[in-house]
Amino acid sequence: MSNAGLLLLQDVLEEPKLIDWEWLKENFWEDIVPALQGHIFLSVISVAVALVIALPVGVLSARYRKAYPPVTFVTGVLYSIPSLALFAILISIPGVEIGPSPVIIALVAYSLLILIRNTVAGLDSVPPETIDAARGMGLTDRQILLRVELPLALPIIVAGVRIATVTIIGIATIGAYINGGGLGALIFDGIDRQFPTEIIAGAVLATALAIIADLLLLGLERYLRPWARVRRT
Amino acid sequence: MNRTKLIRAVPALLTCLAVLLVVACGNVGGTDSSSGGSSGPTITVGSKDFTEQFILGSMYAQALDANGFNGVAKLNLGSEQIADKALQNGQIDLYPEYTGTALVSILPYKGAYPETPEATYQAAKNLYSKRNPADTMLTPASFADTYGIFVRKPVAEDKNLKTLTDLAEASPDLILVSFSQFQNRSDGFPNMKKNYPAIDFKEIKIVNSLGLRYQGVAQGGGDVGVGFTTEAQLSSPDLVVMKDTKNIFPQYYPAPVVRSDVLKKYPKIKGILNEVTASLDLKTMRELNGKVDLDQEDPEDVAKEYLEKKGIID
Amino acid sequence: MFSKIFEVFARPDFPEKLREHVMLSLAALLVAIAIAMPVALLIRNTRLGAAIAINIGNVGRAVPSLAILALALPLFGIGFGSALVALTALAIPPILINASTGLREVNKDIIDAARGMGLSGGEILARIQLPIAAPVIFAGIRTSAVQTVASATLATFIGGGGLGDLIVEGYSRSGPEILLAGALAVAILAIITEIGFGALERAFTPKGLKIAQKRGS
Repeated sequence: MSNAGLLLLQDVLEEPKLIDWEWLKENFWEDIVPALQGHIFLSVISVAVALVIALPVGVLSARYRKAYPPVTFVTGVLYSIPSLALFAILISIPGVEIGPSPVIIALVAYSLLILIRNTVAGLDSVPPETIDAARGMGLTDRQILLRVELPLALPIIVAGVRIATVTIIGIATIGAYINGGGLGALIFDGIDRQFPTEIIAGAVLATALAIIADLLLLGLERYLRPWARVRRT
Repeated sequence: MNRTKLIRAVPALLTCLAVLLVVACGNVGGTDSSSGGSSGPTITVGSKDFTEQFILGSMYAQALDANGFNGVAKLNLGSEQIADKALQNGQIDLYPEYTGTALVSILPYKGAYPETPEATYQAAKNLYSKRNPADTMLTPASFADTYGIFVRKPVAEDKNLKTLTDLAEASPDLILVSFSQFQNRSDGFPNMKKNYPAIDFKEIKIVNSLGLRYQGVAQGGGDVGVGFTTEAQLSSPDLVVMKDTKNIFPQYYPAPVVRSDVLKKYPKIKGILNEVTASLDLKTMRELNGKVDLDQEDPEDVAKEYLEKKGIID
Repeated sequence: MFSKIFEVFARPDFPEKLREHVMLSLAALLVAIAIAMPVALLIRNTRLGAAIAINIGNVGRAVPSLAILALALPLFGIGFGSALVALTALAIPPILINASTGLREVNKDIIDAARGMGLSGGEILARIQLPIAAPVIFAGIRTSAVQTVASATLATFIGGGGLGDLIVEGYSRSGPEILLAGALAVAILAIITEIGFGALERAFTPKGLKIAQKRGS
């Protein structure tokens, strides 16, 4: 036992083994996969909920321009609250359960600004002539919105979803501090145990997740934007 | 034209999302959650955010699991505030607390710290029972886990530091490595300063990861650190623990706190938990902590091995 | 509640934490600019260089801040210095991406015309490329600055100090006023940074560009 005590402080001076492949193999299903699953869950649900809120708000803000500045202000303020703080604040509210819920609420709050902004920008980018033409063809306002404006606004909206998703995937790591699960759990545990392997596992997976999401959504954005499509030879 | 693409894209997108969600729903929420897998009523055992808590929490959960319940462990919830919150809103049914900590940080206790361990326990137990929803603090363990303020050996020898009084006098030349909760909780640093007014550290560094308290001193250019007396690291020959001659800290004896309604529903829990608590002593707790902190074993495995050895589970 | 929050601001350790936070953020930003700008300048005329820089920037943007701070631990230990290295690494990508893109997107015709007029590479850089790219470059610096102020809250986990200490303290002790004070302080810092750098951006946008921007071209 005293040997181990001696080793502790000496250990710190030695080079830490950066990647312990043994540990990774042993704990893959126990620790790594659940963390990854939790992270995907947090990210997908947050983006989905955020869209459900942001799209209608964005459409309304584009229509009733006076509402836009206050909306931008509120979502902007939410965005500037540091993530660690917003998570912690949500937990202090009585009735909020400890787990993924407060993390999801916070992640949704963070992405509203960019999603609403891009929805409005997307709708703004629709040429007025196109709308006039549609009106001339006898379409109602609602039909114009759903069949003409939104589809044309999609590339810019998807660009916003892209940024929001990458942001959410990154911030979700901090959610582990309040027991939200996800890859951050590996990182925090790695810090506490001074175990770089865990930190690296969490970091690499979170980065990979963000990059994959970014590329997939970029593909979607390009697919929807005919003039940016690369010609296939 | 975009509309056709949209119509094609939407089902593909929804399928992707659905697949992702199915994959993700495999495990939601804190990864420090493990299910006992036994049949029987589910009892959720929480824990705070340091090694001894992980071990105790695992032990209680596993003992329950082997004795007719489905013991689920939800470890590493956070500080006592967070664990208490989870307890009171029913997310967990019990967790390992300390008599002194409960008095200082959770319960509406006023006045000087009770002098004896028994008085501390009774005071805590009494106040817990008055809460709404009420809680029951079960029998404490036979050992205390209190603060052990330690100094690096070369510094301690150089300045001949043996007690907290010595430390207080030497403090203007020394750097303390601490964490926010200790610095600001009434029984922590403010308590030290009140009782040893000479304390005036040259610098106080805050490192808010509990696992880094020892490294913070060894590596962070610190001289003095905050340990817990059941930790294995404190027995290191490279550190000297300062004696608290004025006994400034309350009595921190480990004792599980259970929701009273849960206890009433399943009275058998009491015996199971008490058996685990009673089986422990200071030396054993230090060894178990050491297995996790120094030998890098998993708290769940350490708990399981111990319970098997003691015959509480087989 | 509000009075309690102000009590936290009046605490003796608050100015210290505020100072640590600002120092960390500012130092990280300045070093990041000192690293990213020369790189962007060097590769401004090569397609491959720009592509590499932008890709590194994109990957860098995708790495969670917490991860870089955590990784600094085994490499640089605990404390301010370690947090500084991590935050600097995090501050580089937005600046690098924007500076590279901004410099490369300067209209080739303008550069050819300038060459035709006899301007040297360095003069083209100073008189044409940089002024035109300035708004984009400053936008990148602004993004980086705001991001760095936010990420600096995480320094608390590796002993880097800053307002994150208050947030952790409030969280672990159920002191909502402490928590809110820390959150408020960082939020205000972030907003000041956003507005401040926004003003800098406008100040450095050449008049001609401002007019062009207004016209919507």
